[in-house]
Amino acid sequence: MPDTRKDNLEQELREIIAKIVEIEPERITLEANFVEDLGMDSMMALEILAAMEKKYKIQVPEEKLNQLKTLKDAIKLTEDYLK
Amino acid sequence: MMNIEEIQSLIPQRYPFLMLDKVVELKEGELIRAYKNVSINEDYFRGHFPNTPIFPGALTAEAMAQAACILLKKSIPDLDATLFYVTNIKIRFFKVIVPGDQLHVMIKTIKMTRIGGLFETQALVNEEIVAKGEMTFACK
Repeated sequence: MPDTRKDNLEQELREIIAKIVEIEPERITLEANFVEDLGMDSMMALEILAAMEKKYKIQVPEEKLNQLKTLKDAIKLTEDYLK
Repeated sequence: MMNIEEIQSLIPQRYPFLMLDKVVELKEGELIRAYKNVSINEDYFRGHFPNTPIFPGALTAEAMAQAACILLKKSIPDLDATLFYVTNIKIRFFKVIVPGDQLHVMIKTIKMTRIGGLFETQALVNEEIVAKGEMTFACK
């Protein structure tokens, strides 16, 4: 994926997550753990997954939900299913 | 297509908190349509509000949630969940619902998993939208 597109993806996903979790986007670093650092729960993760699917018109299997722990994971999952 | 006995076999809510009377359509994994008949006999009208009975918006949301629970349980038959917890809800209410109205609840799946689901929700009276939104719930 070209760098510009990847940067956009990072920013878009950061905004999606910030809106769902209701926190400032700056707090969502690539490595910040959704549960430990950002206070998220499994249902918020499910909402993020659903928002990713809607935005990028992808289908991510349920079993991938436990791989969604950071913004970095969200980017990777999106990239994997955009292919 | 689903009567009150079948509804009660799928969700744990009972009087005075069973907010559906009949399911008229169910497409597994996709959508459900159900009805709640609003009667002046219901106890909460004594206080909501005295002399001006209005069906509480919170109960419209509850009817939506119960329909979504049925959709989830019918879509994942081996799901052994017995309790459901709403974790997020965003509903806009457009019109009041009063005794005599038949509340028509329509739920579409956004994302459904074994730990819970996200649903697009609508409630109509006389084919007019009275409330719509989204809700997420977890099941255990």
